[in-house]
Amino acid sequence: MATDTQRITQRIPGERSSAPALALILGWLIPGAGHVLQGKWVRGLLIFVSVLGMFLVGLGLQGKIYTPNTGDVLDILGFIGQLGLGLLYALTRVFGWGASSVTITLGDYGTKFLVVGGLLNIIAAVDAHSLANGRKAS
Amino acid sequence: MLTHFSAVLLFALFASVVFGITQRSEPKMMVRFGAYCFVLFVGSVIVASWLMWAVKH
Repeated sequence: MATDTQRITQRIPGERSSAPALALILGWLIPGAGHVLQGKWVRGLLIFVSVLGMFLVGLGLQGKIYTPNTGDVLDILGFIGQLGLGLLYALTRVFGWGASSVTITLGDYGTKFLVVGGLLNIIAAVDAHSLANGRKAS
Repeated sequence: MLTHFSAVLLFALFASVVFGITQRSEPKMMVRFGAYCFVLFVGSVIVASWLMWAVKH
């Protein structure tokens, strides 16, 4: 049976807690930041390490960094996936990291690491949003 | 430089961690689901590798 304190701190599904939109946007820009905002430090750190790991391995394998406006549908999809990396993607564009095209066999794997890293970060940001608006209990 | 298999292990590890955290609510279930995803990732790669080897030979 729950005590009074537990009842008060327990989140009611559907109840708004703390700025869900902020958790979503912050979680997208900085991997794991949305969870840290909700007080889930360990989860935030694990997500940060995982997404950053995907990003660094992708760059290490000379993965391709997609840019918009190439006209190719697959390039556009790849760009959307990598855009999920948030500020990490912005850093690649600013500093010119990553390859503009795949030149080695492993570069194709690197590209997949970068795209999937972005998609995982989107999933994590949406999870932080669900935690903030009470859709996910804990 | 990473080998193909070490790249698979890293990919499976990172993806499984995020899947575990985001797809379950309780910490214990997160660990279980993450481990389940990791085994599926790596296991399916090993099975696919042996299938490709069998096709070639």
